[in-house]
Amino acid sequence: MRAFRKLYGPMILCAAVAFGMAHPATAATVGPVTDDLGVIRIAKGAPIQIGAYWVLSGADTALGLDEKRGVEIAFKDLGGKVLGHPLKLNAEDDGCNAEGGQTAATKLAANPQTVIVLGPACSSAATPGAPILWQQGIVNICTACTAPKLTASDRKPEYDGFARTVFSDSEQGKADANYVHDVAKAQSVVTVHDGSPYAQQLQQVFADNFKQLGGKVLSQEAIAPTDVDMKPLLTRIASEKPDLLYFPVFTAAAAQIVRQAKSTPGLEKTALMGGGSLLSADFIEAAGPSIVGFRIGYPDLSPDAMGKNYPKFVDEYKKAYNEAPISGYHANAYDGAMLAIKAIEKVAKSDKDGNLYIGKKALRDAVFSTKFDGISGPIACDQYGECSQFKPSVLEFTSADPKTFSVGQNPKKIWP
Amino acid sequence: MIRRGLLIGLAFGAGAVHIAAVGVLLAMHQRWIVIDVLTLGQAALLLIAGGAGAMAGRALPGLVAGAAAGVPIAALTVIMSIVPLHSIFIALSSDLSNMLTFELGLAAGVAILVGGGAMAGLVGALLRNSPPIVRRAIFPGAIAVVVAGVFQELIQLMLQQYEGPVGDFRDFIYTWEGLSLQGAITIFLLAALCSEVLGFVWRMRAQRLATEDHRRERMIKAGIALVILAVLPAVAGSYVGQVLMLVGLYILMGMGLNLEVGLAGLLDLGFVAFFAVGAYTTALLTADAPHALAHLPYWGAMPIAVLLSIFVGVLFGLPVLGVRGDYLAVATMGLGEIVRVIVQSDFAAPLLGGAQGILQIPKPAIGSFILGSPVSLFYLTLIASAIAAFVAWRLENSRLGRAWMALRDDEDVAQALGINLIRSKLLAYGLGAAFAGLAGSIFATMLTSVYPSSFQLLISINVLALIIVGGMGSLPGVVLGSIVLIGLPELLREFGEYRYLFYGAVLIVMMRLRPEGLWPSDVRQRELHATDETLELDAGTDAVPAQPR
Amino acid sequence: MARFNAVDIVLWALRIGVVLVVVVGTVSTLIKNRYDAAQWFDFVMFGLTIGSIYAQIALGYTMVYGVLRLINFAHGDIVMTGAFAGYFVATPLDRSGFLESQPVLAMSAILVVAIVVATSIAVLTERIAYRPFRRVVGLAPLICAIGVSFFLEQTFRGMFGSAVKSYPEPEWERAAFQVFGFNVPRIDVLVIGLALLFMGALYLIVQRTRMGTAMRAVAEDGEAAALMGIDVDKVVVFTFVLGGAMAGIAGVFYAFVYKQVYFLMGFTPGIKAFGAAVLGGIGNIPGAMLGGFFLGMVESVGPTLFLDGMGIPAPYQLRDLIAFTLLIMVLIFRPQGLLGERMAKKRA
Repeated sequence: MRAFRKLYGPMILCAAVAFGMAHPATAATVGPVTDDLGVIRIAKGAPIQIGAYWVLSGADTALGLDEKRGVEIAFKDLGGKVLGHPLKLNAEDDGCNAEGGQTAATKLAANPQTVIVLGPACSSAATPGAPILWQQGIVNICTACTAPKLTASDRKPEYDGFARTVFSDSEQGKADANYVHDVAKAQSVVTVHDGSPYAQQLQQVFADNFKQLGGKVLSQEAIAPTDVDMKPLLTRIASEKPDLLYFPVFTAAAAQIVRQAKSTPGLEKTALMGGGSLLSADFIEAAGPSIVGFRIGYPDLSPDAMGKNYPKFVDEYKKAYNEAPISGYHANAYDGAMLAIKAIEKVAKSDKDGNLYIGKKALRDAVFSTKFDGISGPIACDQYGECSQFKPSVLEFTSADPKTFSVGQNPKKIWP
Repeated sequence: MIRRGLLIGLAFGAGAVHIAAVGVLLAMHQRWIVIDVLTLGQAALLLIAGGAGAMAGRALPGLVAGAAAGVPIAALTVIMSIVPLHSIFIALSSDLSNMLTFELGLAAGVAILVGGGAMAGLVGALLRNSPPIVRRAIFPGAIAVVVAGVFQELIQLMLQQYEGPVGDFRDFIYTWEGLSLQGAITIFLLAALCSEVLGFVWRMRAQRLATEDHRRERMIKAGIALVILAVLPAVAGSYVGQVLMLVGLYILMGMGLNLEVGLAGLLDLGFVAFFAVGAYTTALLTADAPHALAHLPYWGAMPIAVLLSIFVGVLFGLPVLGVRGDYLAVATMGLGEIVRVIVQSDFAAPLLGGAQGILQIPKPAIGSFILGSPVSLFYLTLIASAIAAFVAWRLENSRLGRAWMALRDDEDVAQALGINLIRSKLLAYGLGAAFAGLAGSIFATMLTSVYPSSFQLLISINVLALIIVGGMGSLPGVVLGSIVLIGLPELLREFGEYRYLFYGAVLIVMMRLRPEGLWPSDVRQRELHATDETLELDAGTDAVPAQPR
Repeated sequence: MARFNAVDIVLWALRIGVVLVVVVGTVSTLIKNRYDAAQWFDFVMFGLTIGSIYAQIALGYTMVYGVLRLINFAHGDIVMTGAFAGYFVATPLDRSGFLESQPVLAMSAILVVAIVVATSIAVLTERIAYRPFRRVVGLAPLICAIGVSFFLEQTFRGMFGSAVKSYPEPEWERAAFQVFGFNVPRIDVLVIGLALLFMGALYLIVQRTRMGTAMRAVAEDGEAAALMGIDVDKVVVFTFVLGGAMAGIAGVFYAFVYKQVYFLMGFTPGIKAFGAAVLGGIGNIPGAMLGGFFLGMVESVGPTLFLDGMGIPAPYQLRDLIAFTLLIMVLIFRPQGLLGERMAKKRA
């Protein structure tokens, strides 16, 4: 065992070195910029490195890949360059889970050239990820994580660097409840979630609001996201005779429910409504002919409400990737990227040699104060990082042909 | 010989078509190894042709094999230009066509693919037949260049914290885009030189050591590996620390499962359950959340988490005591899934938080020092692993360990020998669970949150895979297995979608080349070769080697 | 002996507890009387449909296990390859209207292609990944099978994308029969009927043909069979052909009923079918069929029948819990599975 004993010394030494090494962001002056959280220097000709973490593997790949493409198109629209420096996207995979989010965020935070970070797609990845980034003074603009607590007014200071260009579940759920109660005139509902934090949260907010409005929530059901045989569940729901079934779950499971509900005796008259993750051509193919008449609650995407440029974006997307958008948050990702770039343009300072300097605290403040019209609607952050101006709408699918997918026609806006 | 070369070449070529069709080739092509000279994708094609050539043997068959390896991919290029395969195979895009024709037009592309393949095949065959002194220089040199090129971001990230001579060296070999040509040449020469010198020293030593204890030699190697493992995060920064931290957690779990599967022969596919119990117990006892039962400091919660894991482990063991072999695999898998379903369910949500998990778990603190960074948590994991390794090592050679091994080899005989089956099995489950519970506890505090989605069947599978790839029943094997199966895929995180393709391929290749694992235990190695070496059959299988002290 | 008693007490408590939950749950559900007879009939029908698919997949597991003592972890992914192959035939057939006008011919074409593809891939995996392990003891083959599983999934993801594709939905599929006032969807009858037919055919092949006899001989004792002049390699390939064919059929049926095709689709049914194979007694062909139907029924009827009455929220989320609890209970009462005769040989 002598060999082992020899190692104690070096090991203790290393431990001591490592403990001394944790250095969070501190004030610094580099070049022409002084900043409380430090300054990033980008040498002449070097790229501006934008970090990103999304789910790029496993069952939810489409969700993250869609957002990555949104950002890539945003970069393309900018000509791939800002302030004379090329833009570089360092996208990491987070697997849509907490440990993946933490690892990816750590990797991005460890790169001193990471200016700002976009993503992730899942709130469970953002929860551990955002504080790690902010510890290094890096702002995280989330493109699809909708958990209310991430931008709640009582959020901890470690989330100060977190903003998002996607709306909170609490607003979406409330809007959906209002619509179902006041417009669709449903008296009783059943909700279904798939055990994901997103769906569980959204249906809970919806159910709470619906009850407050005087409606009746007959039951709150749940499934596994990999379930295919929904008939038993639907038969059970049919025995409760709800006016509407609300299931903000993801593509695969939602398609099963849409398809199988149509052929379940007792559910013929029950309206079906889903959530924002289903706004994609992919879902139309998955759900088949039964999709006609299916509704989803989503922020208002019609040109008069927002995003004149959204149709143009979809064209670009199709041209670049040879398919229609594969999930629902590409527009938010595009706007997230635009917000980041606009903020960088605001605060970056060049010296006479062409080097670029970005103050981290200044960048954070710029992100939180930048206002513009994005393709997902007007973008303007409040003090807790909620940047999208939520305007509710309800869309209804009109055709089962995936090729007709186009926000505005299929699905068509039916409210307001 | 020529015909064999042709067949080998075509088989390798089919591999090239596969990586093209799944999109890996194009993804690799988008990364430089050496800026403006060679992309990773081109290197992969060269490697395939060269490998075919080397396998074919002599120069002429090598040439044929290399050319043949280029033929399928050239054929694919031609077909792609005629038929729009893109509508079905999404990876066969115009970008891929451009890559395969080198943007020089179809005819030139085909010529380069086949001709270049032939040259690479020839070089491969020549290299194979070249004297060792040449091979010792070229292989490490090439590998070093590829590693330096592929992991340039990571290496640059590590080197970024240094100024002075290290910084100058960095700027000499790298631009921000990747490895420069002068850098590639430098690295190649350095690696080749190192390999020649080390090889020389090693052979000198080997002659001297030939008679000395083989075991001691391995100990020293293990020691060196441990020191590197311990020093690496401190010098390489927080990302490597984070990756090694995950590796450490899997080492802990691997050691636990090693007791169950490796020693006691109880195939367990529900191991993640104990991990979940450890994580949730820690969360419930420390978190600043509505579900929390208490607000203990981490050091108070950890032992409770471990104890509860042991309890659950024994509870797990009870019903499946009478179940054997592969039935056990299914029964334990079922138990693991049951735990996951419960944790996720609305039914248990009032207690466990359901889909929303439990947040706001504090980091451990020593006095006023908070173990917040991945690197400091890595050292916590390292210490836990060291203690666990010590326990596991002592257990292995204890009375209980021998009872387990007897149980593994033949349950009925073990019982006839007076081993208490129930007690031994329950202890195996309980102690195995303790390690997983400890890992879960650290996991919870590392993430400061627990979500049910972290406790998938995949974790059980990963842990099982790593102890078998490492070498069942062997402690260094667990470490090695974790590094290979958990650490390396983490470094490929930016390849996102292709990570699991590599993972699968690595599992297949590794098991085919070394079914006994990378670092098998002595006993195990003897067992596996017992059928070939009949002499050892009587001596080796049932006796545990005496412990050198 | 006190410890033995303690263990026995725990086991009995567990058994009694589960039985109690089942009985109390069932009785209270029935007393509540929320569901009419037609709905109960539907539950059974759904269970039989998914069960018939599980049974077909389970056959592949059980046959390979019988011959090689290998848990072919990649078998669920062979199902996926069959479903994909069928998809690329079904879509153009649907677009040309052929699927609508000539259902029998079109379905046969889809099935044939799916069987050919799934079988080829199954045989190929055997040749490349499993054959070198013929003489290796231990878990290396299992890990290799897991590797194959990842490899197949990711290969298909890479080639065809990660989006969920879906089979066409022809008119004839949506019709339903009326039997004694019960609603019987045609597709369910079709799937269950054809599955029974194919499984019957497989059973006859294994029992009556020379190759089947050789297969059973190898399953009984590989070395003795080899000494008797049986070409073991050939038998193994034959086994993978049969298993692959059943997987291909199962893949098409699965995708036809549930309309979704994506790269991970084989994983969950694969795991379930593996459970079903063990439930029936692994290595036992009628056992695998029985196990499959049993598991399907439990999944479909179980949550409502056992949990609904007790007022447990979202019972269908606990579907896997019920399925696996019953699986474990069966193994406790009958460690060799429902129809398993011999004690399984231990794998070290």
